[in-house]
Amino acid sequence: MTDQSPGSAKREGKLRLPLPARLLLRLSSVPRETRAEVEADLQELFVPRRSHRGRVHAHWRLYHDVASLWLQPHSPVPALTGDSTLSRSKFALLRDARLDLRYAVRLFARQPAILLLTIVGLSLGLGIATASFSIMNAALRGEGIVDPDRAPGVLRTTDRSQATAWAYEEFLRLREGATRMQVEAVMTDAAAARTGSAETAVPSVGVAFVSGGFFAATGGRTTLGRPLEPGDEQYVNEGGSAPVVVSFVFWTSRLNRDPAVVGRTIWIGRTAATIVGVAERGFSAPHNRLLWMPLTAYGAVYDAAPVKRTPDVGVEVFGRLLPDVALSEAEAQLSGVAAALPPDATAGNATLRARLDPDAGLGRVSSSDALAITLFVFALIGLVLLLACANVATVLIATAITREREMGVRAALGASRWRIVRQLVTESLALGAIAATIGLLCAYWAIPLIGTMVEAPSGADLTPDFKVYVFLAIVTLVTGVAAGLAPAWHGRGADLVTPLKGEGARYNRVAPRRFRSMLVMTQAASSVLLIVTATLFMRATFRAATIDVGFDAGGLYAVTPGLGRDAFANGGSGIRTFWARAISELQTVPGISTVTLAELTPFSDLTKSSVTSDGPSRVVYFNRTGAEYFETLGLRTLTGRTYTRAEVAAKAPVALVSESLARAYWPDQSPVGQMLPQQIPVAENRPLVIGVVADAITARLHERNAFAVYEPLDPASEVFAELLIRVAPGTDGVIDQARQRLRSIDPQADVKVASVAARLQQEAGRPRMLATLTGIVGIIGIVLCVIGLYGLTASVVAQRAREMAVRAAMGAEPLALLRLLMWDSLRPVVLGLTLGAGAALLAGRVVVAAMFFGVSPRDPMAFIGAAIILLAAAILAVVAPTRRAATVDAALVLRQS
Amino acid sequence: MKSERLGEFEEFTLLAVRALGDNTYAVPIQQYVEKVTARAVSIGSIYAALARLEEKGFLSSTMSEAVAQRGGKSKRVYTVTPGGLRTARDLHRVRERIWNVIAEGGRS
Repeated sequence: MTDQSPGSAKREGKLRLPLPARLLLRLSSVPRETRAEVEADLQELFVPRRSHRGRVHAHWRLYHDVASLWLQPHSPVPALTGDSTLSRSKFALLRDARLDLRYAVRLFARQPAILLLTIVGLSLGLGIATASFSIMNAALRGEGIVDPDRAPGVLRTTDRSQATAWAYEEFLRLREGATRMQVEAVMTDAAAARTGSAETAVPSVGVAFVSGGFFAATGGRTTLGRPLEPGDEQYVNEGGSAPVVVSFVFWTSRLNRDPAVVGRTIWIGRTAATIVGVAERGFSAPHNRLLWMPLTAYGAVYDAAPVKRTPDVGVEVFGRLLPDVALSEAEAQLSGVAAALPPDATAGNATLRARLDPDAGLGRVSSSDALAITLFVFALIGLVLLLACANVATVLIATAITREREMGVRAALGASRWRIVRQLVTESLALGAIAATIGLLCAYWAIPLIGTMVEAPSGADLTPDFKVYVFLAIVTLVTGVAAGLAPAWHGRGADLVTPLKGEGARYNRVAPRRFRSMLVMTQAASSVLLIVTATLFMRATFRAATIDVGFDAGGLYAVTPGLGRDAFANGGSGIRTFWARAISELQTVPGISTVTLAELTPFSDLTKSSVTSDGPSRVVYFNRTGAEYFETLGLRTLTGRTYTRAEVAAKAPVALVSESLARAYWPDQSPVGQMLPQQIPVAENRPLVIGVVADAITARLHERNAFAVYEPLDPASEVFAELLIRVAPGTDGVIDQARQRLRSIDPQADVKVASVAARLQQEAGRPRMLATLTGIVGIIGIVLCVIGLYGLTASVVAQRAREMAVRAAMGAEPLALLRLLMWDSLRPVVLGLTLGAGAALLAGRVVVAAMFFGVSPRDPMAFIGAAIILLAAAILAVVAPTRRAATVDAALVLRQS
Repeated sequence: MKSERLGEFEEFTLLAVRALGDNTYAVPIQQYVEKVTARAVSIGSIYAALARLEEKGFLSSTMSEAVAQRGGKSKRVYTVTPGGLRTARDLHRVRERIWNVIAEGGRS
């Protein structure tokens, strides 16, 4: 044999074919036995081409060759003829699938409208499922706290109250004294963050001021650099700029994922800070923070010089239990430390205890809430997918009816049942794959949009992660297979002969029709369920936005003084002086109608509550207020009177109760002149009820808990109080003026004025999110339903053309025919409507009533609205094809068959 | 042996096998055909042509010994069968005859 290969001299033995070419070769129809030979041939061609004509040419020719192998229809490799062992390649199935795919493409090319309808339907379904899953995934991902059950919040508990806030000094003592757990503190706030000096529009971002062991205690890790460490608290004493850890989201969105970001300086509030690390993706505790700084940097961020080295506001304390320490054990030990704390102004003479609550602190959503939302959203996603699936199945069945003949021919020619089913499934999977791609694009586009609509916090990381892709893949697969199996099931037991006889021998089997009706029914039912839920949520949103909190939040502002620690000295005389001056100053500002002090202002994160000891225990909120609190909030006095300034100054043992509380404990009589009932625990003297005021919701909006006890704010408690300002409506610039006045009292005070309306709006965000989500899904549901119904009706009506022609020939009026066809098509819709309404009623009961913000799950408006919308849509979908069929020219149709 | 007709590309391939001196394999054949026809020829089409030619009985093939320079992989080598040779010659003869007629016609 003569070696004819011209390039043999220059052949480099070690050079292998490029990997993609090898992979493509494996997937081609070249049988395994000859693959090695073909590969060697390809390489022998590739190497000299590469050295003579260059890489580009060699690669071009190589892939051209590989493509030529792919395109050869019947494994052309010569070895097949020589060898008698004609084994099927491992990829025979793939080859068949390719064939199936080719049929599918051919079919779709013939019926582009069907293809379009199905893809639109499926991509909408998959897109919305992906987007909602993605957002829920982000919402429920948690904030990256490792083993959160072992990191309980530490509640400051006295006999009559418990609160999450501790004074910074108290925290230091707790940290020193704790032996069973690592005690850490965190305080959240917002500050303007500039990443470069040129930046102009500076958004305010969430900052967490944390104690040194915060990252160790929460389990937060960093992608770059290091987390904050206990030593970082000392930076204030050592000089230099504040260390800061930035979140992954901040790093991505504001710092362009700069890999050399560690060591870079950014400006936060009034201070420069050096980035020491980038937190791992997914870590955002607490409350979607973007930045973490040491607690000791608080003063530097907010204060003008001189900078205070310790924060002067309450900090939230939490802990990490040491290994093998039980919660109760740690709690007992920590309570011992708390009891030994020096009594301060707020605690009075009550003993302090520490209570550990794994559900409190660190921005945790209570687990039952999270679970309810998860279940709800998954039910929603399931419903949408069911809808999309039923829809695609309906459309495929519609085509299958017209393809019965094709299937009959194929079966008659010897195609196995399995082969035909596989053909159908391949078709729907191909559709699914296309739809998934479009759906993913939709989701990418929709996620930020939905994110804005639901007012996702800026720190939330909404980008789909790995889990979302897996979810989409699984869902596509399941939907594809299910939708493909439906027509197969529909066509089960089909005889081969009848379809071959052609149109003239149309037959009407009962079972497939019933199956078809069931699909339509399913769609109608899920649509109704969705629309009803959406309507309920929509109404809940309006309700939450306009929820009667009992007072007008607009024009109400809360002021925190931001005074230094020295203001706390001597029992807080500095603060008291400040408040006294502030009140008298502010009262002279035109446009401010009332000013009052209150220990707790509405919808601040702090609450003080106690739990009643009777039957169904209730949470009662406590507040200490100035005399003008009720006037400022606008709470009516229903019976009795409010306390006077004199009573406030004297710390008289009197109290006001809210209307609900009064009704619960004194159902038939006036509470005025009674002692506060024993079931409500109080620490000091049991106060005398002197009046009843209107209900007001000031803490958790969705709880709508208006059980409240108001007591006079004694001077000692003013230290931790906030100021409430009521601005008269229709006045401008009042708040700026107020801010200036307050600054003029104490130029170093870092006065913050927060709008109560804004706090309320934030609080009302949750139902809006669900409403938006369900609303979008509901609309898509209707669209899907209409698409499916239209496709099915068109094909069924076409199928019944002959029957209609016969009826017409027998003298049936076109109107009667129309009625018959319409009713036949709409019957399953009406049935589905009833079913869906029933399901919605049940679901309404199951979905926690709390989420509906006082909207009854049986809201008739929602049900009637849903029924009208769906029926109108269904009639629209049905009317066009049926009209066409009813006005059929009988002679023409009958001649055709 | 079936008596089959030859397509143009098959003819080129068959002649290439003969021209390369029997016992040749796909790669040199591809290179040869590409050279003489002056157009890009894919290896897939060569395989296909070889397979058809063998099926028609114009070529026979055997597996060669493993060749070190091919990474120890063996190759299938082809030889033109007498039948293949005869068919190619017949074809050539037919063409010659036609061209002769054309040439004579042109002269007259």
